[in-house]
Amino acid sequence: MAAPNTLILATVDHLARFAPFDSMEREHLVWLAERLKLTYYAKGETVLGPDSGPVKTFYIIKQGVINGEQDVVRAQDDASWLELHEGECFPLGALLSKRSVASTYRAGHDTFCFELAAADFRELLKISDPFNDFCTRRIANLLEQSKQVLQAQYAKSSSDQQSMSSTLETLIRREPVTCAPETSLREVLETMHKLGIGSMVAVDENRKPVGIFTLHDVLNRVALAEVSLDVLFSTVMSPNPRTLPPHALAHDAALVMAKQGFRHILVEEDGQLKGLISEKDLFSLQRVGLRQISGAIRNAEELDTLIHSAKDIRQLAHNMLAQGVAAEQLTQIISTLNDLLTTRILELELRNDPAARDVEFCWLALGSEGRLEQTLNTDQDNGIIFATETNDDNEAIRAVLLPFARRVNLALAECGFPLCNGEVMASNPKWCLSLQEWKNTFANWIDRGDPMALLYSTIFFDFRPLYGADCLAFDLREWLRGAAKKNSRFLHQMAANALRNSPPSGSVWDFFTGKGNILDLKLNGITPFVDAARIFSLAVGGKQTNTLQRLREITGPLRIDPQDAEAWADAFLFIQLLRLQLHHDQCERGDPLTNKVDPDSFNNLDKRILKEAFRQARKLQTKLTVDYQL
Amino acid sequence: MNWLARLFGAKPELTPEQAERLAAWKALPAPDLNAPHAVSRYVVVDVETSGLNLVKDRLIAIGAVAVSGGSIHLADSMEIILQQNRVSTRDNILIHGIGGTAQSEGVPPVEALLTFLEYLGKSPLVAFHVAFDQTMIDRALKTFLGLKFRHSWADLAYIAPALYPELARSHRSLDQWMTRFGIGNYARHSALADALSTAELMLSLRERMDAKQVDHFKAMRDLDKAQRMVNWTG
Repeated sequence: MAAPNTLILATVDHLARFAPFDSMEREHLVWLAERLKLTYYAKGETVLGPDSGPVKTFYIIKQGVINGEQDVVRAQDDASWLELHEGECFPLGALLSKRSVASTYRAGHDTFCFELAAADFRELLKISDPFNDFCTRRIANLLEQSKQVLQAQYAKSSSDQQSMSSTLETLIRREPVTCAPETSLREVLETMHKLGIGSMVAVDENRKPVGIFTLHDVLNRVALAEVSLDVLFSTVMSPNPRTLPPHALAHDAALVMAKQGFRHILVEEDGQLKGLISEKDLFSLQRVGLRQISGAIRNAEELDTLIHSAKDIRQLAHNMLAQGVAAEQLTQIISTLNDLLTTRILELELRNDPAARDVEFCWLALGSEGRLEQTLNTDQDNGIIFATETNDDNEAIRAVLLPFARRVNLALAECGFPLCNGEVMASNPKWCLSLQEWKNTFANWIDRGDPMALLYSTIFFDFRPLYGADCLAFDLREWLRGAAKKNSRFLHQMAANALRNSPPSGSVWDFFTGKGNILDLKLNGITPFVDAARIFSLAVGGKQTNTLQRLREITGPLRIDPQDAEAWADAFLFIQLLRLQLHHDQCERGDPLTNKVDPDSFNNLDKRILKEAFRQARKLQTKLTVDYQL
Repeated sequence: MNWLARLFGAKPELTPEQAERLAAWKALPAPDLNAPHAVSRYVVVDVETSGLNLVKDRLIAIGAVAVSGGSIHLADSMEIILQQNRVSTRDNILIHGIGGTAQSEGVPPVEALLTFLEYLGKSPLVAFHVAFDQTMIDRALKTFLGLKFRHSWADLAYIAPALYPELARSHRSLDQWMTRFGIGNYARHSALADALSTAELMLSLRERMDAKQVDHFKAMRDLDKAQRMVNWTG
């Protein structure tokens, strides 16, 4: 081809103002410019959509704005969730994985796009390293793409598009109606009636919220309590209402509502009331609401109700996957609801068991439940820790607690949490122990360090109080923090044990192309992160049980580069997300839930990210090797 | 060249190879002006001259960019500077930025115009204020190649106001239309940059063209003609 003319050169100069073109060789930019077409899209015109089939074109915006929308229905509400400007490119994920796009791309203004044919895009990936790097190796970028794909995939079967990761700020619908706490109850009720509102917030002279009162409260606090309407509002309101900052996310509010059983959360900024979020705001479109489920669980009087709620929890998880709730929040929400469910079962069983009621005990969540990392496929791991006056009482107390624990274990099984194969359950006399017995057991494991002791440590050291006398569990945790840190031989043995299970390495990666190979997302994917985080956490005397929180907790004391810690967290979360997706699909098909998956079933994009995630797991293991000289 | 030769139009001297190239171009089939935009190639053109006098001034440069299937193909573009035996005035140079050296080092006119014809093929031409570009190109082709250039042209200076009657009075120049559609220009008064801006204007008009079913070249030309009537009578 002849020397490039001024139009090509001007295009090169234009592109070179933006990433990744700014770091590309000029020669490659000329190559690119000579293959570009310039196309115009009028405002509102669709550039690309899920119906367009596998993507044939790579787009670079020359001028204008392109909005990515989740689906056509929402497009009318201006609900674009992705806004692309001059110099930005799309759709990378779909091009890399040779699929159709998951979202609709539409011109937000009159827009000119440079367009490159898919074949030329692939050629450019080959010849230009910076371009390739930009498109494929930036895991954050890819994760984003993958999440969009996942979201869109589930969106088809879900009615609710409201993102659980939107901030509360964006959900506030109107100025909240407020009054002074000294207002009379009569006046407040009249205002609520006149305005047709369900709640009233009391604020002080600085607009700081001091109390809240809802229609629901009228029944028990006013009508049934036969309170005079002339009393001050401050005597009937719920004081010190729970508030969240405007930048808190919808799922934060959801979590608080579910945990505490609130229907309203106040939004407060710099000590001033900003707005009110009701459960309706969060879940108005959702068939199965978080609070409905938690309410149903809280008020359940029999096991059948709870069995139904357990199913609802799975349905909710599905809806949330569709909303693009991140794996971290999703597993947290599942865990929170499962906690509530377990709590309710315990309460119901205790009602009929006065003897057990008299014992001071704490129900422990162990394993993944203890780490708050439950997916849809979690069998039971639990134990009991009880208080004693003297050691002589132990057997007598066990005699009371074991039958009770057995009933709880069976009830949980009916709710879809299978009995633990390894008998790691509170109904097993070995795991229904006094505080002192637990300390002895843990001390013995730490001292022995044999394979069985190491295995138990990985399950039991992630314990967390779920119901009852929390202080017993806290006492045990404090003790363990000191004991584990002191014994470097034990930590060394745990590290050696963890390294036996290594994630697929580069050469083993070939299984992705072979036939009949199976990848275990839990064993090969999740476990290396969980194990390493546990060891490092024990080593620094940490008190977290959740893997992500452990990773955050160790960053400072172990002088880990925060970027490394973040990459580990991202990788861990991505694999969790794949697991959730897998379990959900198995659920839908009515197949038994497993963590085993045919690697070929992943699309190219997910394979690429998985590869990067495994690389992060190996990095984490390398740190174990170095720190413990293995 | 004596006065008789000038009067009757002397045949310019072409080498046999050049004559063959010209004949090959002439032999190309005529385009289908009724074919939809989606399958047609148009060439958007802009010229730079030694001045604005249609009779006296000479063609200095041609910039052209093709619109195929509704998109501008960046590589399907050309810019050619015609070698001048007399450099244009200083003021003129300041407009198009083609300096004296570049003018005298340009491509010999016969070669330059043949290259343009070969690039053009028989694709219809589009410009903003066709009368000027057409006159300049026609005369250069006649002078240097002895070619009577009877080509199809469409003029965006008439088509744009026809599609946007509400803007007809306030929008006259290419600059005004470019501003209206937010079109940039990487080097105003460079023939190729102006051709690109003109092509972008053509693309921007597509929404209204679609609405009025102006979906092939002949319809564009009809619109162009109708608007001229409006201008004369209005």
